[in-house]
Formats: sequence, C-alpha cells, structure tokens
Amino acid sequence: MSTAVASPMNRLGSTALAGAMTSAYWERIFTARERGAQVVWYNGSAVNVIFQAAGLEWCHGEAFSARLAAQHLEKPAQLAGEEYGYVGELCSYARTHLGCAVLTQQAREEENSGVVGMVDQRELASRLPAPDFFVNAYAGCSTGQQWDEISYRVFGKDVPIFNVSLPFLWGNKPDAGYLRGQEWEEATTYVSDQLHDLIRFVEQMTGRKFDFDRLREVMSYVKKASELRREAMAMCKAAPTPATYWDWIASIAPINFLPAGPELVAYFQAVRDEVAQRLADGVPGIANERYRLYFDGIMNWNKLGYLARKFAEYDVAVVCGRYTHNAFWQEPHLIDTDDPIRGMAQHYLLCPTNHGVRTLKYLTNRDCADYGVDGIVFHSTRTCRAFTNPQHLLAKSAQKELGIPSMFFEGDVADASFYKEEILESRLVAMLEGIDVRRARALA
Amino acid sequence: MVDIEDRVVPGRAIARLTAVAGDPDAYVREWKQRTGGRVIGAFPMNFPAEIAHAAGLLPVLIQENRETITVGRNLLTEFYCGYTRNIADQAAKGRLSIYDGFYNADHCIQLLGAVDVTREFEEDTPVYFGQLETSIGSTWAIDKVQRKMAAFRAEIAGFVGHDIHDDDLRASIELFNEQRRLLRRFYDERRSGNAYFSPAHLQVLVKSGMVMDRAEHIALLQEVLQLGLSAERQRGRIKVHLSGHFCHAPRTELLELIEECGAQVVDDDLFHGTRWIAADVPDADDPIEAMALWYLARNVAVPCPTRVQHDVDWDGYLLDVLDGSGAEGLIVLMAKFCEPHMLYYPELRKALDSKGIPHLLIETEHEGMPLESMRTRIEALLERIRRRQAVLV
Repeated sequence: MSTAVASPMNRLGSTALAGAMTSAYWERIFTARERGAQVVWYNGSAVNVIFQAAGLEWCHGEAFSARLAAQHLEKPAQLAGEEYGYVGELCSYARTHLGCAVLTQQAREEENSGVVGMVDQRELASRLPAPDFFVNAYAGCSTGQQWDEISYRVFGKDVPIFNVSLPFLWGNKPDAGYLRGQEWEEATTYVSDQLHDLIRFVEQMTGRKFDFDRLREVMSYVKKASELRREAMAMCKAAPTPATYWDWIASIAPINFLPAGPELVAYFQAVRDEVAQRLADGVPGIANERYRLYFDGIMNWNKLGYLARKFAEYDVAVVCGRYTHNAFWQEPHLIDTDDPIRGMAQHYLLCPTNHGVRTLKYLTNRDCADYGVDGIVFHSTRTCRAFTNPQHLLAKSAQKELGIPSMFFEGDVADASFYKEEILESRLVAMLEGIDVRRARALA
Repeated sequence: MVDIEDRVVPGRAIARLTAVAGDPDAYVREWKQRTGGRVIGAFPMNFPAEIAHAAGLLPVLIQENRETITVGRNLLTEFYCGYTRNIADQAAKGRLSIYDGFYNADHCIQLLGAVDVTREFEEDTPVYFGQLETSIGSTWAIDKVQRKMAAFRAEIAGFVGHDIHDDDLRASIELFNEQRRLLRRFYDERRSGNAYFSPAHLQVLVKSGMVMDRAEHIALLQEVLQLGLSAERQRGRIKVHLSGHFCHAPRTELLELIEECGAQVVDDDLFHGTRWIAADVPDADDPIEAMALWYLARNVAVPCPTRVQHDVDWDGYLLDVLDGSGAEGLIVLMAKFCEPHMLYYPELRKALDSKGIPHLLIETEHEGMPLESMRTRIEALLERIRRRQAVLV
C-alpha cells in the first residue's frame, strides 16, 4: 500500500484562474479567422495594448512557444524548423515559433492547392492563424528583431511588417542609472515617437482611426493590475513568504499579453487579497521554508512544475527573480493614464535584458537584499544569450557586495534536451549545505 | 604558375603585413611607443573609425587571438561565439589594457556581453556604446544614424579633449577610402581571374589594415601592388565562394585546407574580406552625413543578416556575385552560436538550392577545429561539383 506524501508546495489558489484565462485567449486566437478578425504577430514588448485598442487579435511569438513547451507540444514545430534548416543552437523560442511559421505557411499553401491531410501532431503548431501583419518591438536581445525579419521572409515577404527600435540602455554617461539620466530620457523620447508611428501603421492596416480613448482605458486597467501585482509581490518580503516565484510565473501571461480589462484587474485583486490573507494568517508558500533564493534566468517552460516541486522539496522558497520582478509593467507609477505613450515606451525599454551589467547589478542586489535572499540560482539558459549575458558578473557582484552564494544549472526556455537534472540536484544541495555552514558559523 | 607568395615572400611589405596580422597587440604597443599616441579598441562590425582617426587616435579593430580560453570561461558561457568568448578572455587576462578607450557601434547581444566584461575589467577606461540603427529600412533611419555618428564625434572629441574639425574628418575619410580602394584591387583581380591570391594571404592584407596606421598600411599595399599582380589562372581547381564570418577572421588552417582539397577561392563576403571593404564613404557636404550614408551603403554593398532592410537580400546578393565570379560552389563558414547567421541560413539554402548551386555549411569554433572531418566534407562538395561538371559537359 502506498502512502500519499503531502506536497511541500502551497501554490496560490487564485492563480489557477490564469490558466483558464490563457486558454480562452488562445482559443480566441485560433478562431480569429473564422470570426473575420485581423491578426497581428508580434514579438518582444507588450505592444498588445495598442492592438487591443485597435480591435485586433494579437499573437505573441514567445508566448506561443512557451505555451507549446509548457504543454510538451513543442517538438512538431521544432522538427519543422529543423527540416527547414534552423540549427539546434538557435534561440528555442525563435526556432519553435519559426517552425510554427513554416507549418502555418505550409498549411496555407496546402489549403490553396487543395492538398489536405496534415498529420495530427502538426496540427496544434499550425493552428496559429497566418498573420495579416507583423510588429516587432524587441528590447535587449538582438536576435528578436532578426527573428521577425525571418518570419517575414518565410511568408514570402508579402505580409507587412513594422519595426520598433528599442535602444539598449548601456549606461554611457555618469548620470546613467535605473530610470534616470540623459540616456534614459532620450531613449524614452525616441521610442515614444516610434509608438506614434506604429499607431499610424496600425491605422493603415486596419483602415480605421486609432481609438486613443480606448488605449487610455486599456492602460488604466494595466496600471491597476500592475499596482496590485507589485503590492502582492512586496508582501513576499516577509519570511516565510506567502507566495513564491512560481506563483508569479503563473501570473506572467495575464500581465504580459492577455486582454486588459476588468477581468484582469479582478484577477490580480484576487491574487493580492490571497497573499494578504496568507500573510495575516501566517500561511507560507511552501511547507517548511528554510532557505530563500533568487531565480535569475528566463523560465525553463518544459520543467516548470518539476522545478517548483524540486526546490520546495529542499525547503527552498524561491521568492523573487529577474524575469518576474524586473519585467512586465513593473513600474506602474510611470504610466500616465491620460497620456500613456511615454510610460509605455519606458516599460518597453525596461526589459530585464535591455540593461548593461551595471544596472542589472543594482537591480539584482537590491532585490536580494529587500527579499532577504540566502543565495541565487542562475538558470544558464542554453539558447538565450540575452538572459545569460550578465549572469557570471551578477554572481560575482552578489558574492562581493552581499556575501551571498550562487549556483548555475543548465536548461533552456523551450528545448528540454538541454536540461541537466543531475547538475541542478548536486549543485543545489552543495549550495544549501554552504548556506547551513555559514549560518552555523554566524551562531558560533 | 606565379602567385603573390612567390613574388613577395620574403619581401619586406608582405612580411610586415603578416607580422601585424599575426600579432596585432605587438603592433599596438610598438605604435604607442613610437608615436606617443593613444589607441582605441573598436569592436566589429560598423564602428566609424574615420572619426577616431580624425581625432588623432589609432583606431584598432580588436581581433580574436589564438590563446586557449581559460579565465573567460567563467565570464561568458560556452554557447557564445568564439569571438565574444575570446574577447572576454582577453579582457580578464589584461590583454586589452593596451587600449586607451573602447568603442562599439553594434547591437549584438553576445558582443554586448563581451563588451560588458571588458568594462568590468578595464574599469578606468572609457567603454562607449553608440548603437547604430539596425532597422535601416525605416524612414527615420538616416536621421537616427546621422545623430549617432554625431554622438560618436562628440564622444571622441570629449575623449581627446578637442573638437574634431570637418576638414580633418574629410582627410581621414579620403585616407580610409584609399585603403579600401587599394584592397579592393586585390579582390577584383582575384574575382576576374587576373591574379591568384590564397585566401589566407588576402586575410593578411585586410586584417593588418584593421589594425595598422592607415597611411602606413596604404604604403605597404602600394609596395605589394608595384610587384605586379598578373598570374595565370589555376587549372583543374573548383572555383568556390566563401561566405559568412561577420566579425572575426576564419582560421588560416581552414582556409588552407579548402585550397588543399582542390578548391580555388575566387570570391567571398567575409568580414575579413569583401564585406569590410565593399563600400566607400560617399561625397557629402557634411562629413557626418557622409559617414551615415556609408553605414547605410555597407548593407547594400554586401547585405548583412544583422540588419533589417526589406528590399535588400543577402541570398539574392550571393546569387548575383556567384554569377559574376563564376564560382561553382559556395562554402558557408558559420561561427558557431552566431544567431543572425543561424536565422538567415535556411533562406540562403533555399536560394542556392533553387539554382542548383552546391554548397556546404561548416561551423567554426575558437578551439577544437576538426580539420580532418572538415576535409572529408569539403572533398565531398568538390567531388559533387566535379561530377556535375562532367554531366553538364
């Protein structure tokens, strides 16, 4: 007879709704053609608020790749990409999405030629409706812009495309820093101007005048949702934490690309209220919090649930991370709902891969200190150079400035073949033992 | 048969160029000692070196060196391209301390990682990034690029402590154009079949030109040209085009291997080759505007997959130049982990396949070049072309 072992995880109940909201969103995308809706494919920043105000359906390339990976359905698209010629070391988000583009284009050609009978396993990846146009607004990673350029070419260069150029915030001047300095102000103005150009492009694509009132309304929902999200995150500075990094991962889709409306605000209100209630009742995010870690790296979507369990089994509460806490409308005070363009531009620039190491050191060490972190886990994300870029320097900085250790494990955003379980296990155990030793010495 | 090697080795000019290409750091140290001047290290691909030259600086395009990557392994991961990992390694080992400043104009996320490592280790040295627009088909591109060129001018003027005058910049532009014109003569002669140069020797000419004082380099090139370039076309060899490697020089062992296998390289679009010298700075009243136009012209002259310009196609360009040079096949040299190249490669493959042009993809790394397995693959490509020739006859 087997004995059921209680999970050490105590995930927020309110985030369960995110899954249903996200599924409904994708179903709407899949049926967009049947409903006669226009579809835009985009990558990078959350310019979807503009699409929403313009009455479009929007498909975020990375989000779709992440969804396929989280459901372990990425392989058909990746195989299609491989057959087309993409090398396996290419960004697996891009590789998966381009594979979808190849399948979608094939489906379109087969439909036009009357050829039918695509194999079932391809079906999901090719359910994406072909785009009416592309918008690229990629910050940080130089691959992002090229990815859409290649999608444009895969579709035979006959689908219009608009590129928003987002300058990398290098920090050239002495006054440069997070949310300040000449570079920040100039970049903001540059991107704001481009967003107005993007809106004019959208007007051309839709044949309709853009509804700025609707954009203001959409952004007011975004701002409120973001304030609630940040408020709930801040409550997790308490020990034990009432919610974990994995709960914030579950809330990425809502804040990043789901339609902004009363439902979105209600979702984050529920999350915030549950976290507050837990804090009041002393209910922790994991059963026995003994260690608090920071997670740096983009999510390993294939292993999402597995990683959450793995850390909890070692009494580790992963409390915050660069991907969750320094992205996705994370500075709501910048949003002026009467005139939202500038605040939108600023958030597009605030992608956590769009800063030089100096700023990233500041953000990482600040969060590690604020959340009372004992160590950092770096997800060395095999095909994501943008996220891995500063990791070694961040590890050295945290050790030097805060005296906290770190560990690296190998994996990838959407390609499970790069994941090395044994390495994660042994390095995690070693780091936790090191933390124990340090604590014992401090008490001696 | 006569080739450049027979004529000039051990000639003074080629020996000097070879020495500089082989050890750029030694040249930098020697130049500083000789002139008392300051040297700035520039990162590929599009830094407007003319502006630094006009300020009285020696702009040196930082080259990959041959050292095994050790310390750098703890700074950038193994899935970065060989060039960027090597730069991180050079920075950590103090090899870059010979430079008085660092300048970068290109937004490549891997390169930015390496430049950030440089900033970390050379903390008292200015490390400037002026991001040149990559979406260059946009209507605002020319204005934005021009502003960025002006920002480079202001930044470098601040670095040297004096203004950079238009006349000085025009003089530097003319000098750099002269260098490009001279280098293009070698490539044009090779392409037209009037002269034979091994790809390794041509790499020496270009690589040394990325490092040396331009006037000195030009004088040496003229010395080489005075020896005459005519040579018989090689018989029985398969003419191939080398494509790829956007930032650093392919290993000479690989270039030699390609020829050893029976190929004759008649053209290329390598950064250490045609790509670097293809476009001159055009005439314009304002030299900063001229520099901006040069940047935009480069992508038309030899399209680069790191830029977005919808009416310019690298694949179409390659088909055209293959026609012009008579190359019978194409060898793609892809620096492993170079994402722009990985993204564009299927488009190249489609275009080449559509014309029935045989081609081979070779991934290169900083270390661990499996030359013998590459030999087999190159020989197979050449054999395929030979059989095709037989069928066509």
